Amino acid sequence: YTDMPEYQQTGLSTYFATTCRECPAGCGLIVRTHEGRAIKVEGNPAHPVNRGKVCSRGLTAVQGLYNPDRITGPLQNGSEISWDQAVAQVSEALKADPQGVAFFLGLAPDHLFDLVSELTAALGAPPPVRYGAYGMFDARRTLTEAAKLTFGVPSMPFFDLGESDFILSFGANFLETWVSPLAYARGLSQMRRGKNNARGRLVVIEPRQSVTSGTADLWLAPAPGTEALVAAALANLVAARLGLSLPDDLASVDPKEAAAAAGIAFEKLQEVAAGFASARAPLALPGGSALAHANGLAAARAVLVLNALVKNLGRPGGVFLTPADPAASSFADVQDLVARMNAGKIHTLFIHGVNPVFELPAALGFAAALKKVPQVVSFASFPDETAALSTLVLPDHTLLESWGYQRTLAGADREAYSAAQPVVVPLHNTRAAADVLLSAARQLPTLAAALPYADEVEFLQARLLPLLESRKGFYDAPEILTFWSQWLQYGGWWPQRAGLEAPIVAELYAAAAPLTPPAPLASGELHFYTYPTQLGDGSGANRPWLQETPDPMTTVMWNSWVEIHPETAAKLGIHDDDVVKIVSASGEIEAVAYLYPAIRPDTVAVPFGQGHSALGRYAEGRGANPAALLPLSVNESGDLSFGDTRVSVQPTGQRRPLSRMENRHGVYDHAE
Amino acid sequence: MAEVTEEKMKWGMAIDLDVCTGCNACVTACAMENNIPFTGEDESGYGRGLHWIRIQRYWHGDYPEIKPDYSPMLCQQCGNAPCEPVCPVFAAVHSEEEQINLQVYNRCIGTRYCANNCPYLSRVFNWFDYEIPEPMAYYLNPSVTVRRRGVMEKCTFCVQRIHAGQEQAKAEGRPVQDGDIVPACAQACPTDAIIFGDLSDPQSRVSQMARSQRSFRQLEELGTEPRVIYLKGGGQYGG
Repeated sequence: YTDMPEYQQTGLSTYFATTCRECPAGCGLIVRTHEGRAIKVEGNPAHPVNRGKVCSRGLTAVQGLYNPDRITGPLQNGSEISWDQAVAQVSEALKADPQGVAFFLGLAPDHLFDLVSELTAALGAPPPVRYGAYGMFDARRTLTEAAKLTFGVPSMPFFDLGESDFILSFGANFLETWVSPLAYARGLSQMRRGKNNARGRLVVIEPRQSVTSGTADLWLAPAPGTEALVAAALANLVAARLGLSLPDDLASVDPKEAAAAAGIAFEKLQEVAAGFASARAPLALPGGSALAHANGLAAARAVLVLNALVKNLGRPGGVFLTPADPAASSFADVQDLVARMNAGKIHTLFIHGVNPVFELPAALGFAAALKKVPQVVSFASFPDETAALSTLVLPDHTLLESWGYQRTLAGADREAYSAAQPVVVPLHNTRAAADVLLSAARQLPTLAAALPYADEVEFLQARLLPLLESRKGFYDAPEILTFWSQWLQYGGWWPQRAGLEAPIVAELYAAAAPLTPPAPLASGELHFYTYPTQLGDGSGANRPWLQETPDPMTTVMWNSWVEIHPETAAKLGIHDDDVVKIVSASGEIEAVAYLYPAIRPDTVAVPFGQGHSALGRYAEGRGANPAALLPLSVNESGDLSFGDTRVSVQPTGQRRPLSRMENRHGVYDHAE
Repeated sequence: MAEVTEEKMKWGMAIDLDVCTGCNACVTACAMENNIPFTGEDESGYGRGLHWIRIQRYWHGDYPEIKPDYSPMLCQQCGNAPCEPVCPVFAAVHSEEEQINLQVYNRCIGTRYCANNCPYLSRVFNWFDYEIPEPMAYYLNPSVTVRRRGVMEKCTFCVQRIHAGQEQAKAEGRPVQDGDIVPACAQACPTDAIIFGDLSDPQSRVSQMARSQRSFRQLEELGTEPRVIYLKGGGQYGG
């Protein structure tokens, strides 16, 4: 520095509180900076979501900020333009027919979604579509609809794992990406340590063993698509034990038949039901992979009914309603957007915080639909697959250079807003998407009055004013600037005490979705399962240390693999490290086989996140993208039923050794 | 300012395998704190990755009653370390001040004897200079040395954080308290499975965990006297 800022002292580190944007959970971060450079990401110990903890994705945020492949300035059709030209173009687009303007936003950040919602309302344009791989894998719309069916309120529920002593999870991979992984991992830790040394138990029901079910005390592997039947069977067994009655649609399920359809021993289900019914604080979790089927809504509802049966609603260790706005769109909304794009009804599409060409099923044809849109504006910070097909690329800052906030979705025991602030000055000629939109809006008389904010910070302060006025926070301030300085210092706003609403069972006996079992597998057919890893929605693939952090279950680094049960592999003549071709009705991919002993023999699994054709040197040309195999079928809530994918697997005759940590030590313990 | 008597602390770590989920956040945290270079797909596939801590995953049982068994493996900071006597240039030494095993990078001549003698395979070698392209090198931690080709390296219990914590306590005129000093892995650990502290203080959390009925040490029978204590997992309580 020629002129040292007052907070800066040579040789000493400065710490800033901000909010992670690697996934929508909204964890609080403290970033160590040293002489203007971001050094290390740490958790914010006061934050109600993560309490000082941080996951691999958050830790590598600095490798995003300092990524050598970032987009360094605004581009039009690949050539550099000035920000003035860029803003003029955006302004032009907003002047044209408002029905032809569309926004496609990711699940983070919330403040941009709020701003765009204001903008589209003022403009008379359709509201923004908000979707991404995280929403897809959690089947969020299905969960909120099931909450509406069961509790009368469309809310993302909060599950109090920490105070529970028996957790029954239906495919909720809460140690990896489900809703709020750090909050729920802490909950698991508390549950395991238990009260008075009474160690809590975790039972996980999912077709393939994940990090979460690997940690479980009991793992049961149902056939994909039968999770709804298993949940209904357990509800019957639990209701019988407690002497309660069930709604007709659930009562009509025969537990023995359900167990047979799922391929689980009936005695195991009885054991689980007994444990669940007799626990002090039992809790059932409806995870995304159980809901991503044609009968997903029925599965979600059966799981919520399980909670209602043991009366844990609003009790410690139970289910709570959150004030988080369940504004996420469903896959059906995205399909609707694509249909409008294909019909030539959209003249300008704005994309922020999501990489649809990579994240969504290839069968959706998003890339082809983009060609029908005259002006595609991408706010991507990195040269991803969608930015490559955009006419205008207006790079946003990365999270460590950004202002904003995130409402914590369902990971905190209280209402919480998490604050984001820049920890370093922007590295490149980037500009906040909110500022670009506000500058463009200012040039239009109709919008200028509706959006009277000078810049992003003024917009944020206007949105924070109701929090200040509510006087519910753990700090108080006479006016917004004092509030703002505390907001930035503490990293957000939340009440002093925990407190969430208790759900009320509104219509437990209302008719619900039919509980149809999946069709049997044809000969040579296998169930296909895909799941998110530490690479998250795939945007983590350009962080070399996320690539070199081994996958916990397989210890594979830097590539994709397909998990095949050793028996199935032997039948198909496949060995470890063989390249195999996986074919579904929608497409095909090639990946390297990993003989995985903890998966159903009738199921194969490929992790999500690799297989990029863009996104820079660390991501490109590595592994395969399972989105190529996914179908377009949706469940009753409009969420993609990716769990119903079926594939065939054939060897290609080629081999490609995977880079795996376990090479050095062998797969099996010497004791075995 | 109050007079602070400087007592040597016996740093130790306890890892509770019952709450360790194997998530690998410690692995990433360690790499980001300690300027550990990434080596790429080929080199890491040859076993040349520079992980100072890794999660060993062993399968137990057969489908469907199968379960992974995770154990985070890092330098065990042996009291009687097999790596030390074999180093011809005294690069692998037991430090007087912190009483831990340290690697003196500018002494190391790369014989790799220490790694060959380490029963925990916790030492890693810089086979090459690994490029960190601009501007990615901006995030390198100024408190930690950047190593070059031909040098052995390993977990230091985040010795830079031990020093920072000691200096902070000294500046405030008080002794170091339990929980003041947290290595990067323990700080990140989402389930608080990793606890760090002073083993000579019987009240510290790490000492309390070390006295647990579930505690054991890796390859104890070799007489290495590890300072990393593991607590059995899988619900196996009472020894």
